[in-house]
Amino acid sequence: MATTVNFMKSKMKTKTIMQIAVYAAVCLAILLLPLYAQDDFLLNRIARYLVLAMVAMALSLSWGYAGILNLGQAMSFGIGSYCMAMALKLRTVPVHTGTEGLPDFMVWNNVETLPWFWKPFYSMPFALLAGLLIPALIACILGWFMFRGRVTGVFVAIITLAAMIVLSLLIIDQQQYTGGFNGITDLAQLELFGIVFDAYSSNTYFLVAISLTVCLFLALALTKTKGGLILQAIRDQESRVRYFGYDVALYQTAVFGVSAAIAGLAGMLYTVVMEFASPTFLSVQLSLSIVIWCAVGGRQSLLGAMLGAILVAGMQGALSESEVFLESWTLIMGGLFVLIVLFLPNGLASLVDIAAERFRRRQHDATTQDEPAPSAELSEGKL
Amino acid sequence: MSTLLQLQDVSVSFGGFKAVRDLSLDIKKGELRCLIGPNGAGKTTALDLICGKVQPTGGQIRLGDVNVTDMEDYEIARAGIGRKFQIPSVFKQLTVRENLEVADCRNTGVFWNFFHAPGGSERSLEELAEFVGLKDHLDEPAEYLSHGQTQWLEIALLLAQDADLILLDEPTAGMTAQETRKTAEICLQLRGKHTIIVVEHDMGFVKEIGDVISVMHQGQLLAEGSVAEIEKDKKVREVYLGTSGISHA
Repeated sequence: MATTVNFMKSKMKTKTIMQIAVYAAVCLAILLLPLYAQDDFLLNRIARYLVLAMVAMALSLSWGYAGILNLGQAMSFGIGSYCMAMALKLRTVPVHTGTEGLPDFMVWNNVETLPWFWKPFYSMPFALLAGLLIPALIACILGWFMFRGRVTGVFVAIITLAAMIVLSLLIIDQQQYTGGFNGITDLAQLELFGIVFDAYSSNTYFLVAISLTVCLFLALALTKTKGGLILQAIRDQESRVRYFGYDVALYQTAVFGVSAAIAGLAGMLYTVVMEFASPTFLSVQLSLSIVIWCAVGGRQSLLGAMLGAILVAGMQGALSESEVFLESWTLIMGGLFVLIVLFLPNGLASLVDIAAERFRRRQHDATTQDEPAPSAELSEGKL
Repeated sequence: MSTLLQLQDVSVSFGGFKAVRDLSLDIKKGELRCLIGPNGAGKTTALDLICGKVQPTGGQIRLGDVNVTDMEDYEIARAGIGRKFQIPSVFKQLTVRENLEVADCRNTGVFWNFFHAPGGSERSLEELAEFVGLKDHLDEPAEYLSHGQTQWLEIALLLAQDADLILLDEPTAGMTAQETRKTAEICLQLRGKHTIIVVEHDMGFVKEIGDVISVMHQGQLLAEGSVAEIEKDKKVREVYLGTSGISHA
């Protein structure tokens, strides 16, 4: 009996090791890609998909692991991207006013002095911290009110969606400070530790790929802690967890904040890759897309959600640009979603579990067939 | 023996309906108390009041020296009260082992838990699984367990929680005679180490395990005493429609 338990335990450990190996292999493939794809335009596009993969991974952390469906994930993403855009905008030399002048769109809107909330963005470290911490802080405040009030399920989705729309309307409305509909364009290139990150260069690609790898493994480590286990328990039976003495609202708020910080980082990188920030980064459309990527890839798998984003966004890009599918690509994508939701409710990542289950069953069958084997041989001998 | 749990004139009403009125109970440390009564007598509500699921509209609940009347449910759990629900509630997607690890809640802090791997006291969790006969199912998701196994898993969760006071709401519901006997065994083994309150309909089970039985009717305490005393009690006979009393209930 003890040996079976030890065997089971080692099986669990093997499962974790296998998981880490697969995650590492995918990250390695992403990091080695520039060796094969040296076209800068292509690299830029893949970097864009990797950034989107990062947001999807962040949503998987809160939705797949803790059961918090955040329909406002793009809010954190957008805040991050605006933080980066503000810092880079202040590093461009305005055409009309020369160095130290106001950003161009402020001049067009008759703003005379730089508003107070722009000033700290002269400092790059501040901007980087802000891009991480402001989304996390907003998420924590929002989460605190929601989860203390024991708001769950669809109401969380509605509240997060509404919060995002409010912020996006605010950005569009305050054109003189935010660039309004046009967003913030004509940005300087990011420069960190003497390295210049041109959007169309392998530097930027590596920045994105390394950030993604680090975030993925941090998130994976988080899910492997006892806290990660408690989050999954909250997803299964929220009230039960309370009767073990855990303050459920605190756990939910924490994971909500971490997820928002990763989305904020992704937003900053998105600005570097796209070379602008715009209100479309906080749009309902993007938020819903993130949910779809997670659902397609498998929300209960960080890697699944990540690959789902790369796959869907990549297909969208490829299909919408090919002449054959110019008109029908949305139909094809729609059909794909329907098929996956119908037949793989846990996304493409569940294919791995299904395959593992098949394999296990086949092995099980093989061992049970081994036992009556002698008699089978005998009967064959008789024949 | 000292008193562990004390309810003083506890009442609660839902929209004008008094589900529990002026209920007073004294549970001693290490006692196994059975709470019985006809449907709608307020037994489950009484447990809800103790564990904080429902806030009382009057009265006071004390656990040892602590007044837990106005505490949040998770704070009451930390104070040392564990609850098994009428409908077995475990974490279905987690394995039996993971279920037990979540229930092992000596440290409930967010930061501590996000920086520590689960499985600090692996051995004792395995012993617990063995105690309720789930050792061979440790790495199976809880959703694959049978109904009886799920009930036992939830009891094991309470043991992992190591609460001073354990509230069991119909632990034998839906069990076969054999499973019921095993559950009674588990309860008897727990007596002394933990203080237990059991709400139960199965009189055979109650007779097997009960020291002191409290009978509730229409939200009030009707009678209290040993099995023999309760069986002779006239009021209890009237309440249980079959006038032969609880022996045939």
